[in-house]
Amino acid sequence: MEKKIVEFTNLLRKAGVRVSVAESLDAFNAIDEMPLEDRELFKDALRTTMVKRGDDIDTYDRLFDLFWSGFHDQLQSELKQALGGMPAGFDLERLLEQLRELLENMDIDLSELAKALLSMDSNALEKLIQQAGEASEVQNIRNMLQIGFFSRRMIEQMDMEGAGGELKALMERLREEGMDEDRLNELAELLKAVQEAARRAVRQFTERELDKQNHDYIERFRRESLLEKSFYNLTEEDLRRLREVVQRLAQKLKSVITMRRKRERRGKFDLKTTMRRNMGHGGVPFELVFKQRKKEKPKLVVLCDISSSVANVSRFFLQFIFSLQDCFTKVRSFVFVAELGEVSQLFRDRDIFDAIDLALDGGEVINPYTRSNFGMAFHVFWRDYLSAIDSRTTVVVIGDARNNYNDPRAWCLREVHSKAKNVIWINPEAPGAWGFGDSVMDKYLPFTDVAEECRNLKQLTRLVDKLVL
Amino acid sequence: MFDTVEEVQKRLLDQSYIAGKKIATVVYLASKLKKPVLVEGPAGVGKTELAKVVAAAVNRKLIRLQCYEGLDESKALYEWEYSKQLLYTQMLRDKIGEVIQGTKSLKEASERIAAQDDVFFSERFIVARPLLKAITSPEPVLLLIDEVDKSDPEFEAFLLEVLSDYTVSVPEVGTIQAKHIPLVFLTSNDAREMTDALKRRCLHLHIDFPSQEEEIRILELKVPGIGDRLVHDIVELVQRIRKLDLKKTPSISETLDWARALMVLNADALDVELVNDTMSVILKHQGDIAKAQSELNALLQKKAAERAADQPQAAPGTAPAAPAAPPAKKSVLH
Repeated sequence: MEKKIVEFTNLLRKAGVRVSVAESLDAFNAIDEMPLEDRELFKDALRTTMVKRGDDIDTYDRLFDLFWSGFHDQLQSELKQALGGMPAGFDLERLLEQLRELLENMDIDLSELAKALLSMDSNALEKLIQQAGEASEVQNIRNMLQIGFFSRRMIEQMDMEGAGGELKALMERLREEGMDEDRLNELAELLKAVQEAARRAVRQFTERELDKQNHDYIERFRRESLLEKSFYNLTEEDLRRLREVVQRLAQKLKSVITMRRKRERRGKFDLKTTMRRNMGHGGVPFELVFKQRKKEKPKLVVLCDISSSVANVSRFFLQFIFSLQDCFTKVRSFVFVAELGEVSQLFRDRDIFDAIDLALDGGEVINPYTRSNFGMAFHVFWRDYLSAIDSRTTVVVIGDARNNYNDPRAWCLREVHSKAKNVIWINPEAPGAWGFGDSVMDKYLPFTDVAEECRNLKQLTRLVDKLVL
Repeated sequence: MFDTVEEVQKRLLDQSYIAGKKIATVVYLASKLKKPVLVEGPAGVGKTELAKVVAAAVNRKLIRLQCYEGLDESKALYEWEYSKQLLYTQMLRDKIGEVIQGTKSLKEASERIAAQDDVFFSERFIVARPLLKAITSPEPVLLLIDEVDKSDPEFEAFLLEVLSDYTVSVPEVGTIQAKHIPLVFLTSNDAREMTDALKRRCLHLHIDFPSQEEEIRILELKVPGIGDRLVHDIVELVQRIRKLDLKKTPSISETLDWARALMVLNADALDVELVNDTMSVILKHQGDIAKAQSELNALLQKKAAERAADQPQAAPGTAPAAPAAPPAKKSVLH
């Protein structure tokens, strides 16, 4: 039992569930206190001691079922199936009874496998398969293509061929002993089916092993690659999944930020309050009070290019910003292609995802089906909304600065830059491409404080993290 | 404390708490292994309640520590009572004079005082806060550390010692060992992930919203005299609402409130008007109410239709059908 639990623990660790040594010790102690017959109780006991994160519970449930159950049932059903293939009127009990009698009178030495096959003993068979699995190191299986290889190796290890030969020899002996021909035919048929079943069971065993080893691997791989996948080629499915990932990241970021703020809070020694608070102690300063530094939350103005090339960056950036709303004093958001319009109201009225979808579709304030014109958009912003900016405002522009050879009107951005605390430019193109072709990024660059490439979620997360500081 | 998992279930039921097997297993193990339990789950699924009823079931005093941002050692563990110390110094001034009488040098005087032991940093001047109280209590207690996720990460460090060894170290006094090992429950709403160090020391229990059957049982237990039909209506509706993407999902306590409210209004089944009038009991945001509205109307209409089919002879059955008509139009428009 202990060995099984250790094995199971290793499996959990492999699947990305953190289980410490202390925790697996707890698991041992826990099952000492529990009646083991109740599977549900056993499962709960292991879970409560080893799995401590809500997210991991699903993984645990799946692995538990894979590990603790199953193979025996599978084996049994295989054997049952083998029996089911027998012609009607076949009486297993009687046949086995007869066999036992005959075998007792003869002194034949059968190998364990042959015995197990003959008596259709699923327990013995399971044990043999497990041993063969260990001996042929099936736990090293890594991919689908190896299933055949490992199955063959296990079958060789078990010496299935040998057992088959023994059984054949046995049949001969039985014939000599004068077993009647019909019975013998039945027996031959049955043994053939059982051996087939055993082979299938071995294959299933390797498949399960692969499942165990591979579990979560694909899942994790997909999550990681999603983070690094370029925004330019996302499928619908990716978008949906990314939305969830962003939500989780935002949540994480939030707690980190509140922590950071707190650390900053402890400021200078506050003499006045200290004296007042210690009046009760006759003026002896037992309790020291420090001035609390004022939290500085940034004000944000976001300008999002919503032309198709940049839409996804804008999408996830907006999701971040509005998930982290408490971290800013005020957020105003604008969308542009050539015209520019404010969409802040959308986010006030609607649910965040509706609002984002609407905003990326022009938000009923601008026409999204035009050619990008950054110069014009900045000009409109400068003309109508410059008052939105003061010395505490951070301006974030999301766009590729592909201006379709229009006038960049960089002076508008210069004006904005001189009024704002910071101007941050998020560009989905690599810095190497800035200023080439119709890109006017080089013209705008002098008027930004930070300009960064952002093509996947990983980069975006890092940027947001910097932003909220 | 408990001998079997079934016993846990039974004794919690005696306290009107329906514990599933999962919950009962963890409580049982906690009592056997003497380990703290970290209970996680969404708000309002009965996490705090669990600690309370376990305390009642095993007849222990409940000591509660409510966590919040900025909770620190002096509020949770212990504090020195400065003013009392000060008072004592002043009152004992004469006594000190006596003690050092006849000494010739400063060194001799301070040695004399040292011989009097650490009078001022003794347990006499410690104000015990919940954690220390739970450790030093002369009878066994149950310690509830509520909403531990609201506390600062540094605070967890204080907890570690208490939770793993059931001791509290006071630098001036030494380590105080627990007289009786308390049962400890920590609850968390998952606002912040707890550190691994803390989790490692705890058994973990995740409580989710109850299934339909469980919730019906809870209602029947907690709101005696409620009609069968009303219970089913309420629970079905609440379960449906929980599946929507809402700002604040209705919790069990809100379901209970709602059931009680409907009892007061003498309702025996739900209809559109009644639901609209009392919806504010379960949904607390205007946006959520709007979202739930269409779902509710659809469901209630279906119900009304089913009932009409069940008892076609009921003459006043036309009444509930009338208000159900307009929402149908609405859904067509959508």
